[in-house]
Amino acid sequence: MSALDRSWFLKGLAILLVLTLLAPVFGWAAGQVGYAEPLDNAAEATGATDAAETINPGLMPDYGVPGLGSASGTLLAALVGTGLTLVLATGMGRVLAD
Amino acid sequence: MHILDGFLDLAVAAVCALASAAVLAYAARRVDGELSDARAPLLGLVAAGIFAAQMLDWPIVGGTSAHFVGGAFAAILLGPHLGALCVATVVTVQALVFGDGGVVVLGANVFNMAIVEVYVGYAIYRALAGHHEIAAAFTAGWLGITAGALSAAVQLGLSSAFAYELGTVVLIMGAGHLALGLIEGAITAVVYRAVVDARPDVLPSSPLREVKA
Repeated sequence: MSALDRSWFLKGLAILLVLTLLAPVFGWAAGQVGYAEPLDNAAEATGATDAAETINPGLMPDYGVPGLGSASGTLLAALVGTGLTLVLATGMGRVLAD
Repeated sequence: MHILDGFLDLAVAAVCALASAAVLAYAARRVDGELSDARAPLLGLVAAGIFAAQMLDWPIVGGTSAHFVGGAFAAILLGPHLGALCVATVVTVQALVFGDGGVVVLGANVFNMAIVEVYVGYAIYRALAGHHEIAAAFTAGWLGITAGALSAAVQLGLSSAFAYELGTVVLIMGAGHLALGLIEGAITAVVYRAVVDARPDVLPSSPLREVKA
C-alpha cells in the first residue's frame, strides 16, 4: 500500500469510527418516534405480522448485547459488525484479486 | 426491507436463493482477475461503511424511520459485480450475527438488496451519468432502492403469510420506498460527490473523469 493509499485508508477508518459512534444516538432517536418501515406496514395490512419467526437470533440479537444497556450494546454491536464486515470484505477482495 | 423468516413460502425462498447464488457466482467470475490487490481494502471500507450506515435509522416524523441501504452507492463506487458481492457480505453478516433478516430467506434479502438494487441502480447511473453525474447518483439511489423494495414486495405478495395480497403489498412497499428512497438518493449523491472530490481515481469508470482527462 503506498503512502497515499495508507493515509486514505486511515481516513476511511476514521469515518467508520464516527459512523459507529453515531449508531447509539440514531438508535435512541428512532426509538423515540417508533420504528416502522413499509415492510412492517404491509405485514400488518395483510395479517402477516404473527407469521414472523426467529430461527437464528444471532450472537447479538437486534444489534444489542444481552445484559448490556441499550446504548452500550448498540455501540459494541456497531463496532463488532463494522469490524467484521471490514475484515470479511477485504479478505474476499484479496481472494478475488489473486 | 429485511424479510423475516416465516414471511416467505419455502418455494419462493428457494427460487430466490438459487437466483442469488447464480448471480453472485457470475459476479465473482466477472471480477476474478480484474480486481487489483490495492482495491481490496476499498472493498472492505465500502462494505464496512454500508454496514455502519445501515445501523443509522433516520427518524421521520409520523412514526416511521428508514436507513440507507447503499446498493446503488456500492455499484457506482465498485462497479456492479463487486458492488453485488460487497452488499451480499453486509446482508449475510446482518442475518447471521445480528438476526437482522431471516436465514431461510437470506437468499431473498440478498436478491433484493445486493442484486436488484445494485444492478438497477448501476444501470440508471450509467444511463444518466452522461447528462449530470450527481443527478445520476441521486436517481440511482432513489429508484434502485424502490426497485429492491418492489422485488421484496412481489416475493412477499406471492407468499401465504401475506395472504397472496400481491397488489396491497406492492402498493404499500412501492409507495413507501418511493418516498423514503429520496433520502437514499440524497445520501448516495452527497457521498458520491465527496468521493469524486477526494479520490476520483478509485471509481471504476466515471464519465466525469473521462471528460476531465
